[in-house]
Amino acid sequence: MNTVLENIGEFLQFTGFANATWGHIIMIIIGLAFIYIAIKKEWEPLLLVPIGFGIIVGNIPLFPGLNVGIYEDGSVLNILYKGVQQGWYPPLIFLGIGAMTDFSALIANPKLMLIGAAAQLGIFGAYAIALAMGFSPSEAGAIGIIGGADGPTAIFLSSKLAPDLMGAIAVSAYSYMALVPVIQPPVMRLCTTKKERLIRMPAPRVVSQREKILFPIAGFLLTAFIVPSGLPLLGMLFFGNLLKESGVTRRLAETARGPLIDVVTILIGLTVGCSTQADKFLQPSSIMIFVLGFLSFVIATFGGVMFVKFINLFLKPGNKINPLIGNAGVSAVPDSARISNLEGLRYDKRNFLLMHAMGPNVAGVIGSAVAAGILLGFLG
Amino acid sequence: MNKIKSLFVLCALTVAAASASAQNLNEMLINEVLVHNETSLVDGYGNRNGWIELLNSSYGSVDIGGCYLTDDLQNKKKYLIPKGDVSTKLAPRQVVVFYASGIGEQGTYYINFKLEPGKTIYFVSSDGRTVIDQVTIPADLGVDESYGRVHIEGTIDDTEFTKMSPSPNSQNGDLEAETKSQIMARTDPYGWIISLTSMSVVFSALIILFLIFKYIGKASVKYDRKNDSKDETTVPVAFKPKHTGKKDGNMPEVAAAIAMALDKECGNEVKAAIALALHMHLTSYVHDQESFVLTIKSHQTQWSDKRDMQLRKPIK
Repeated sequence: MNTVLENIGEFLQFTGFANATWGHIIMIIIGLAFIYIAIKKEWEPLLLVPIGFGIIVGNIPLFPGLNVGIYEDGSVLNILYKGVQQGWYPPLIFLGIGAMTDFSALIANPKLMLIGAAAQLGIFGAYAIALAMGFSPSEAGAIGIIGGADGPTAIFLSSKLAPDLMGAIAVSAYSYMALVPVIQPPVMRLCTTKKERLIRMPAPRVVSQREKILFPIAGFLLTAFIVPSGLPLLGMLFFGNLLKESGVTRRLAETARGPLIDVVTILIGLTVGCSTQADKFLQPSSIMIFVLGFLSFVIATFGGVMFVKFINLFLKPGNKINPLIGNAGVSAVPDSARISNLEGLRYDKRNFLLMHAMGPNVAGVIGSAVAAGILLGFLG
Repeated sequence: MNKIKSLFVLCALTVAAASASAQNLNEMLINEVLVHNETSLVDGYGNRNGWIELLNSSYGSVDIGGCYLTDDLQNKKKYLIPKGDVSTKLAPRQVVVFYASGIGEQGTYYINFKLEPGKTIYFVSSDGRTVIDQVTIPADLGVDESYGRVHIEGTIDDTEFTKMSPSPNSQNGDLEAETKSQIMARTDPYGWIISLTSMSVVFSALIILFLIFKYIGKASVKYDRKNDSKDETTVPVAFKPKHTGKKDGNMPEVAAAIAMALDKECGNEVKAAIALALHMHLTSYVHDQESFVLTIKSHQTQWSDKRDMQLRKPIK
């Protein structure tokens, strides 16, 4: 009888209840909050549900040596996490993004590309602030990329520049992408006048299939020659788009934008969530990363909107751009474009800005991938 | 025909794979040599011999098994690096030391000739002919003095050799060289330089792309206009696609013409179908997969449910 009781006592030492700390409990609550936000508010549910559940999985108190934890070599989670650590998943997600992105709005009005460039100000603004807060340049670069509002790019760059901060950076990037409807509108309203918000833009022209096919080829050649270090992201993005637009690889395009991106999204979300173990995540640096992430989104939105106002100084009446599409220069596709549209409709019920905002929105994807390549080149 | 195509693709892939591997082998370097060894590296047999250090300067793995080391150009196959030894597969940027014991039978890393000042050492490819790298040992090389490649700030300078303190089994030069991040912290502590440079590059890339597509767009519109004018004789004006890129044109007239034609030629069924399509589009029953193409997914409703459409069996 004593042996049985001893065995039960020994078994209890292996359970999560015996090994739980306050850190684990806090992280599990954070994970539950992510799931709640995703389901109740429907903010980025495809990302927040896997990440939220991943946070819970990663923070189940474990008896060390069971070879099941994400940081234990050879465990299932560790093998899946290799895709994040080695940067395999982000380019595959970019392949899917390329295969589902329609660049027509951008091709029809190519000057909107410049808004996508201006919104990258968030990345470098946050970089400078992070340096001032005492982060090293490579850490600051990895944190700054949150301002690109592009989860895969943030994971890709942080896995190369600051692997230790990757969990906090990824969670921060995805959280703020989900919070785009909350963060961006006040900044947009603050930077614009009522008259500017009412600007109506001419309908974009119809883009031929020929131009759509040329875009990924020319876009890739140009950006990859300028920033070769961005090759994995840019190559996959434009390749995916060529699959979509070529018209002869429909099956491949459908796989890339369907099952493939879904599988990789599940894996990346779950493993990034798992990587946020309490002892690694609940650090002062994580709080600073969240603050910097917020600032980078604000600066990016400000940069995009103000740049449109600047361009408008040189445009003739009738050709002016509504500055409410400036926020879409961050690459949170298509949420930030949707915000532009909603803000436009708020002031003029018949001013639909969605198609116009999609231009800077997809340009932001290219811009953030280029910016990531530059940071990797300078700091990698 | 398909088999020939497959064979061609397979051959191309094989050639590409082989050339990639050979490309890495070509980046093998003789990194450092030491002739007079009195206090430097001791080999596995407890002896102090001269040594040759090879470096895989590529960013891919290289197997040097089957390659040769020699000090005689007339005898390029003097020492064969044994094949099948897993340790001859070098990781990217890895170095490996060969002891010049003069007794080749002692193991993979013991070469069958001694080093002498003034002689040239060759690293020869596995074909036994191609010299991949070579170095001539200075005649005045001192005791415990090595002759190696200069590495500046972590980069491999493959042109300059110099006399140096021996550093076997490690990269030559300053082992405490700063990382890029450390250099950046020193040269740009506030991040302004990198920010300005990076923003300029991002803008430049997208400005060039903007200019390219501005002109491609113009050319495309011109091309389409030209094609439109060719088709003018065969297609009624009202149904011609317009790719003019201008917001004005005769679009209102065309729209009016279409509306009139629909009104005249189509019954209420067509109007109902258009209304239904719009309704389904607005209520998210449709999924727009292609630009300007509206695809309607079938959606089961009570109106189309066969069970509700069929007459009930009469009750006895």
